Amino acid sequence: MTVAASPSPGAPLVDANSHHRGFLRRYIFSTDHKVIGLQFYFSTLIWFFVGGALALAVRWQLAWPWSEMPIVGRMLFAAEGGQISPEFYTMLVTMHATIMIFFVIIPILAGAFGNFLIPLMIGAEDMAFPTLNMFSYWFMWPAFACMTASFFVAGGAASAGWTSYPPLSVLHDAAPGSGPGQTLWLLGVVFIGIASMLGSLNYLTTIIQMRAPGMTMLRLPMTIWGLFITAILQAFALPVLTAASVMQLTDRLLGTGFYLSEAGGQPLLWQHLFWFYSHPAVYIMILPAMGMVSDIISCYARKPLFGYRPMVAAIIAIAGLGFIVWGHHMFMSGMNPAMGTTFMAATILIALPSAVKVFNWLGTLWGGRIEFTSAMLNALAFVSMFIIGGLSGIFMAATTVDIVIHDTYFIVGHLHYVLFGGSTFAVFAGTYHWFPKMFGRQMNEFWGKVHFLLTFLFFNGTFFTMHIIGMGGYPRRVAAATAYAEFARFEPLNVFMTICALGMGFTQLIFAANLFGSLIWGRRADRNPWRANTLEWTAPSPPPHGNFDFQPVAYRGPYEYSSPEVTADFYPQNQPPDAEPATAAAH
Amino acid sequence: MGKFWSLVFLSVPVLGVAVFVAAASWGYWFPQNVSAHGGQIDHLFMVILWLTGAVFLATEIVLAVSLWRFDGAKSPRARFSRGNMRIELGLAAVVGLLLVFITVYQLEDWAEAKIRQPDLPPTVEVNGRQFEWVMRYPGPNGELGDADDLFSPGDLHVPVDEDILVSLVSEDVLHSFYLPNLRIKQDAVPGMRIPVWFRATETGVFDLVCAELCGWGHYKMAGRLIVESRADYEAFLTRLEAEQNEDGFEEQQPTAANTSQRHPSVAEVVYRRAAR
Amino acid sequence: MTTISPSQTTRHRRGRLRRFSSALILAALFVASGSCSRYEPPPFRLNLEGLDRTEADSSGTLRYSDEKLQQIVDATTALFGTPDEPFVFEETELDIALLRRAAGPVSSDEHGNPRGLYREHCAHCHGVTGDGAGPTALFLNPYPRDFRPGVFKFTSTHQGGKPTDEDLRRTMVRGIPGTAMPSFALLPEEDLDALIEYVKYLSMRGESEQLIFPLVIDDEEELDEDILLEEVLEPVVGLWQSSTLPQFVVVPEEPRPSDRAASIAAGRELFQGERGCAKCHGPTGLGDGTERNYDMWNNKKLNLDREDVAARWSLPLQELRPRNLRHGVYRGGRRPLDIYRRIYAGVKGTPMPAAGPPYGQPARSDAMPEGSKNLSSAQIWNLVDYVLSLPNEEHPEIASAERPAESPKAGSPGGAGG
Repeated sequence: MTVAASPSPGAPLVDANSHHRGFLRRYIFSTDHKVIGLQFYFSTLIWFFVGGALALAVRWQLAWPWSEMPIVGRMLFAAEGGQISPEFYTMLVTMHATIMIFFVIIPILAGAFGNFLIPLMIGAEDMAFPTLNMFSYWFMWPAFACMTASFFVAGGAASAGWTSYPPLSVLHDAAPGSGPGQTLWLLGVVFIGIASMLGSLNYLTTIIQMRAPGMTMLRLPMTIWGLFITAILQAFALPVLTAASVMQLTDRLLGTGFYLSEAGGQPLLWQHLFWFYSHPAVYIMILPAMGMVSDIISCYARKPLFGYRPMVAAIIAIAGLGFIVWGHHMFMSGMNPAMGTTFMAATILIALPSAVKVFNWLGTLWGGRIEFTSAMLNALAFVSMFIIGGLSGIFMAATTVDIVIHDTYFIVGHLHYVLFGGSTFAVFAGTYHWFPKMFGRQMNEFWGKVHFLLTFLFFNGTFFTMHIIGMGGYPRRVAAATAYAEFARFEPLNVFMTICALGMGFTQLIFAANLFGSLIWGRRADRNPWRANTLEWTAPSPPPHGNFDFQPVAYRGPYEYSSPEVTADFYPQNQPPDAEPATAAAH
Repeated sequence: MGKFWSLVFLSVPVLGVAVFVAAASWGYWFPQNVSAHGGQIDHLFMVILWLTGAVFLATEIVLAVSLWRFDGAKSPRARFSRGNMRIELGLAAVVGLLLVFITVYQLEDWAEAKIRQPDLPPTVEVNGRQFEWVMRYPGPNGELGDADDLFSPGDLHVPVDEDILVSLVSEDVLHSFYLPNLRIKQDAVPGMRIPVWFRATETGVFDLVCAELCGWGHYKMAGRLIVESRADYEAFLTRLEAEQNEDGFEEQQPTAANTSQRHPSVAEVVYRRAAR
Repeated sequence: MTTISPSQTTRHRRGRLRRFSSALILAALFVASGSCSRYEPPPFRLNLEGLDRTEADSSGTLRYSDEKLQQIVDATTALFGTPDEPFVFEETELDIALLRRAAGPVSSDEHGNPRGLYREHCAHCHGVTGDGAGPTALFLNPYPRDFRPGVFKFTSTHQGGKPTDEDLRRTMVRGIPGTAMPSFALLPEEDLDALIEYVKYLSMRGESEQLIFPLVIDDEEELDEDILLEEVLEPVVGLWQSSTLPQFVVVPEEPRPSDRAASIAAGRELFQGERGCAKCHGPTGLGDGTERNYDMWNNKKLNLDREDVAARWSLPLQELRPRNLRHGVYRGGRRPLDIYRRIYAGVKGTPMPAAGPPYGQPARSDAMPEGSKNLSSAQIWNLVDYVLSLPNEEHPEIASAERPAESPKAGSPGGAGG
């Protein structure tokens, strides 16, 4: 898109009257990217609490195996004195992971923040395909419905792990959850796949075609870069998972044998196809978070992002390598061990761009003027935790070491450091940071910090310990390791982890209270409460349908904080070079 | 507040190191190693632990120091700098070299562990099924896979200080043959026969774990690895053979005729009643 | 544009703080009220399997009124206590210390001894009551054993016999291959003892309950302890004790024949012909005889429609497939002796009949006239040998080995990687 083809800068963009719609079209079946983004946000938030509750149930069982479980045991297992059954445990584990990955992290990053931020940050009035965008949200609902329903069918929800490895997931007799629950699980995954593919096509088109005048690719904020690359990953990898899921469905329902050895199929085929998507999915779950954190750190350090171009290159490199490393989930699977070597080399290489990113975040902080807001603290936690999650990944990447820690709690610790310590802290940071833009109000900073501090402490208490029991060989997905003499010694640590996890779970109630309380009682925010540079802060808070009252034009990159060219410590992207600071766009 | 938050973030490296030190000194460490190759794997783990530990300490401390030094409440205007390409490239080169080192350093051990299969007949077939391990030993004729094979559910006996080749199969779903003390892990896949080899160096009884989710009873799929001397191992096989061929015949058995008086006739009456 | 400095944003307003705090306290109370509820010990479930609770006599009084059912519960409780606090009369010869170890919720006592072993290891399949209908049971085929009728499939005893302690231990240590019953070989000896004792306890309790039923429902007797001991406990315990005496154990009268080939050939004759084994197990031994089979726990559900079964039974009807003898999987054990006993005394509770004579009768000797139903010890050995030869027998109609290639080299993990 060229500047010439766009409306001239400063011209009013939106006729405020042209978007009067009924309530239903405005808030429910809306095509407005902001409404869709918030729909994603609140849907995923509900699932976040469901998934979290499942996790607490898992932790309870691990700390006090077969004791009476509060609430759940009372409701479902009264005849057993409140102790859960082992197939219920495998279901808890499976559904916790499924919900957290497919219904929380991926949709909240790409769906909620992606939808809300992409048009605002690139200076567009909406997505390229608003109706498609609406569908991408509403295709989540069949998936929600499938997964919800699966809890209530005979045999309960899927219990073959979130990886759904056949034959366990295909043979109806193999597990209780391999009944209708597993079918619904697969259907749900297919629907999520459709939703995400629609979304990613939209993001790609929007980012490529709809940027404001002057917004070159190398003036895009890192958030947009993260989402852009994520959309590419989704567009290329998701069809594989969707097709593989359909194949598993036909194995289950039509009697095909893609994954069944006795029918001439191969169980490992699923693993290859599944991880061909699900490894890139790991980056789908972290790249937007990296982008958001880059923006937030730069903003609150009042300093340009250290090494913008290397950061972009690193994201591209991570995504590119992400396509050729899926085999590192399969070192012990029976795949040819010689192939393991190749996958190891590629996997270890990913540490390189990751190291560049961490270095640049630290470089951004160094010499800054750091403001310790809730958003900043959560973003800093992202950096701190991502360091641990990234470094522990190297252990698993080394094939030989992976022999001892594969499928142990070491990997459970690792993945939670990346997905909770990384992505979820970034989601918190993003929420505190963009809440004023979303709702025109600010979140309570005091409770934000209390929430951060408690979450940070409890999080580390819960998951750092997992590395230790993982080194001890403690296997994952085991309802109670009491059968093994070797692992009995870790029982005290399990209790410790569970107490921390319970603390962490209840701490999230603070977040919920803060979030919903601030919706009602939060202090009103003006356009740019954080004195940030990117374009979304030039729109009203919250932005109306159509976003900007004037067509924004980008004159510079997004990170010109403390620029010597102006007296203020920020220099918005849309501020004309000669104008005096930061008043032109506002009010 | 900057100092407070700096200390919060500083607690990560401090406590992180403390946790590892405490774990090591309280025995929350690797399972006891009883295999010939396990020491090498532990060594590799420690190499990576030291390397990543150093990076971890360095980065986390820099993070905490930045927060301490550049607290917005007392700092003047931030330094305007868009980065430094030279440092980035230098960093990339150093990290790259480290990574290449890690990759290359462990290749040999990987080949030993999984690629260079020893040239010997399989000692035992291990068969995973929901939810137990069934070991199948060659019978007296020494051939695995024929009528005189011996079956030992749950207990894997192997002679000490000898190369063992396990032939791993699965009957139903994926399982994972996991011997923590031998640093062995290998998935069992239906339709595939996967070789696993090791050499145990100490006698004793150890855990045999299933490490791949195989259904509701996954946690119950526990077995035992019994490493014993050659003599004990052969005695075990003899015992197994005797047991498997047991026909229960005893020379001087009590016959039904001379004991029937001691059998209360009420029992049969009651049985009929109970089964009604 | 008014810009807000970060120091301003961190300042909060007292009023809002209070509102937030109260919301948080409310949330915490809500959570606490859910989690602090008291533990409620689960009861033994009354055995109403197959009963039609709506059945009434001509005058319209319910045959199984709540009042009467409560009497049954009370009487059974008087004899055996509750899941958390078991109690036994001396006559049962059950060890109360062992029972306490197995009963109750999962925990440990002050000496670190485990408690609640049954609920830790067994109850999720076999149910707290031992009714074989725990939460996992519905998904298993075959269903877990319902201990209450006191019938156990795999015993070393004659037909109608109870399992000896050794039988129960063997089942627990080896599991039942081909079913969901896993091996508990890793449990310490005293835990196994406790569980064996508890299984017998649940079984005796279930049988006693069945004997109390007619006393209350039909005879309308006032039950006192003497009646309970005499008419309920004594017969139940008597059978357990008498039928597990050493002489009640099936012991082959002859050793296994040394001429294996001849024995197999003779066994084939019996299998395919006279004994009619092929009728259920199929002429090839694949378990594909055409008959539909049901075990004693299921055959009472046969003539009911699905809704009735759902209303009256804990678990739906389940078909019993005759064993595929070519699998090489032997549920009751793979020793020749085990198979001998299966053939001699049948598989209890199933259509698999006893080929040997009932206890106390002489076995058929070769001198006896043809047409006698019982097989001689030698004939049973022939069948054993034939059955054991089936997994390795080549048969033109059956595709060769289902097992993966035997040579590890041939299947080395290369193929799947690509």
